[in-house]
Amino acid sequence: MLFNSIDFAIFLPVIFILYWLVSKNLRLQNLLIVLSSYLFYGWWDWRFLSLILFSTIIDYLIGISLSKQDHKTKRKILLWTSITVNLGFLGFFKYYNFFLDNFITAFSFFGTEINANSLDIILPVGISFYTFQTLSYTIDVYKQRLKPTKDFIAFSAFVSFFPQLVAGPIERAKNLLPQFYTKRNFDYSNAVNGMRQILWGLFKKMVIADNCAQYANIIFNDSSEYSGSTLVLGAVFFTFQIYGDFSGYSDIAIGTARLFGFNLKQNFAFPYFSRDIAEFWRRWHISLSTWFRDYLYIPLGGSRGGAWSKIRNVFIIFLVSGFWHGANWTFIIWGALNALYFLPIFITNNNRNNLNVVAQGKYLPNTKEFLLMLITFALTVFAWIFFRAENINHAFSYLSEIFSISLLSIPEIRPVTIFILLFLFITIEWLGREGEYAISKICLRCNKLTRWAFYSFIIALIGIFMQTEETPFIYFQF
Amino acid sequence: MKKFIQHSILFSFFALAFYICAVFVFGSYTLRNLKPNINFKLGGNTYSRLIEVKKIDSIDILFLGSSHSYRGFDTRIFKKNGLNTFNLGSSAQTPIQTQILLKRYLDRLQPQLIIYEVYPPTLSIDGVESSLDIISNDKNDIYSFQMAIHINKIRTYNTLLYATTRKLLQLDNNFSTPKEKEKDLYIKGGFVEKEISYYQPQSIPKNEIILNETQLKTFVKTLDIIKKKNIKLLLVYAPITKSLYRSYTNNTYFDSLMHRSGNYYNFNEMINLVDTLHFYDSHHLNQKGVRLFNEKIIKLIDE
Repeated sequence: MLFNSIDFAIFLPVIFILYWLVSKNLRLQNLLIVLSSYLFYGWWDWRFLSLILFSTIIDYLIGISLSKQDHKTKRKILLWTSITVNLGFLGFFKYYNFFLDNFITAFSFFGTEINANSLDIILPVGISFYTFQTLSYTIDVYKQRLKPTKDFIAFSAFVSFFPQLVAGPIERAKNLLPQFYTKRNFDYSNAVNGMRQILWGLFKKMVIADNCAQYANIIFNDSSEYSGSTLVLGAVFFTFQIYGDFSGYSDIAIGTARLFGFNLKQNFAFPYFSRDIAEFWRRWHISLSTWFRDYLYIPLGGSRGGAWSKIRNVFIIFLVSGFWHGANWTFIIWGALNALYFLPIFITNNNRNNLNVVAQGKYLPNTKEFLLMLITFALTVFAWIFFRAENINHAFSYLSEIFSISLLSIPEIRPVTIFILLFLFITIEWLGREGEYAISKICLRCNKLTRWAFYSFIIALIGIFMQTEETPFIYFQF
Repeated sequence: MKKFIQHSILFSFFALAFYICAVFVFGSYTLRNLKPNINFKLGGNTYSRLIEVKKIDSIDILFLGSSHSYRGFDTRIFKKNGLNTFNLGSSAQTPIQTQILLKRYLDRLQPQLIIYEVYPPTLSIDGVESSLDIISNDKNDIYSFQMAIHINKIRTYNTLLYATTRKLLQLDNNFSTPKEKEKDLYIKGGFVEKEISYYQPQSIPKNEIILNETQLKTFVKTLDIIKKKNIKLLLVYAPITKSLYRSYTNNTYFDSLMHRSGNYYNFNEMINLVDTLHFYDSHHLNQKGVRLFNEKIIKLIDE
């Protein structure tokens, strides 16, 4: 079920009302979450519900077994069983064909022809997200940071919680699971806050991302036909598409969770207003970055050890992050490129220079801040070209056309409407950058009429500028 | 919780009122680029046709269908043969629009025969474009609302909202449209004659007809409406250029489907026309082609 669909517009209020009607019974509320989450997921393809159920059962049982087991080796075996099962599913559904193709190519390079057929595998939506979420539970239980749950329904609800099931934020068991044990009381201001965040998420997705996607697709799909300046524009459109799409999804997910009395982690914190790439990565897909930091980077040694081990760890983390996005070399190069951006400031210990919000308390940034933001933005746009390209060759031909004389020509495509919408979007995001999401604080002190008019204006913009067809979220494919 | 629901309902009313105003302001005072989901186009031959149909009481033959209908059945030729006809075709008319027009005008027109032009692409599309044409140029009633729900696209909803607001504010009461526009001449009875020109052949890639489920279901329901009124019905596949016709890889499938639906005649198999002589584009007859096609169909009716 898509957040931006009529189905969801009916599903959400129905579940919301049922949920608060049974608010006196915590188990019933959790059971309702499980059932509605399975319905939400099964709407797309019910066959893959068995994967979620299997993952849930395995990790639940392993969690309980870990609590009863003191023997170090046996505990390790249990942990690795969970990791193997979860990553095994992920590996098969997401990476099987990639490894097979590369294996065949590598052997044919050495003159050995191998006959092996690729499988027609459908990637289950959200598998990368819920796999990482359940893994965090087993690892935390293994490391004794978290007590395992005996409540199977609460655990199932934690794994399948529909707002963030298919595209995050990837929640830690430590943060989300305890929320299923405690009674949730309806909080008016939290629910209104949730509605506001859903509205802004829908605007980001349906107005910004989908409209930018229209032109980004035209330009990327036929890139050889356009001048360098148009290709730059295409990359910028994709930059806003992916941000609007993914952060929009996160806003809707977090907002929806608020309606049910849950607090999910902030997943995006205005990343395009970052002054360096380290700041960008503290603000972009926060739940994934922190997951990799805690479960991969730190176990690898983190920033301890010599320069070479630091460099190695940074590269590993970015390469794995790229590979997490998909079975394509373009994602790996995107990750490597970000590692290259990050390393100079990391080695020189400048990676924690910009921890606060840019131009805090001011309307405009100073010249230095503005230039730093512009450079960081340009670097991310450059990297997104690899992320969006069909393959490596496409990415390089795209770049070679950008760095040609045609860069100085007037772009063939000049969608004025998108420019106006982007200007409006950037302005609102800038004004709201000190909040959790752009409109979390805007207009809060205005009278009710002005506030409602502001929200209605956003609804009107959605209705007037949304695409006619429902478009899925990009991150569903990851 | 109670307060939240109360406020949500109040806000919904407020937002709806605001939305109607916003759609009206955007629809009336902004450039076309800035209103991609409001597509109100008042005027043209659909407007003339729908003004005229309201003044007609009973006819012998009613034509329905896409532009192949209103550009293909010349009401003057039928008149010469003693047949009183009206052409209720409209641009890219899909069964969803055919049904709404029948519900509105069938009782008034009381035809003895309906000639329903069927063209595969109009059974393959969602019907948004045609709905906008009818919403802009006809009255808007409960059937328009049903059509919008049926199509379920934001452009149809917004245009319906905008058109209804305009009608409530009586902004188009003095509107009139010229009978002649560019190369088109509107003829009494709903036909549109195009200034004579000839098709320049182009290569057309092979194409499979994939019919839209919703349109097919509506098509069946539309035929039921006609059958219930005991009106004779001819399903007609009007001639298109041979090159386009042959580009469809599954014509037999479409033919068999139509044969099962009623008395069906595929004129692409019944009349020998020349692409460069009898058409002005790949799928519209020019006046020479119209004459031959209409004579053939009159002969068929006589038989």
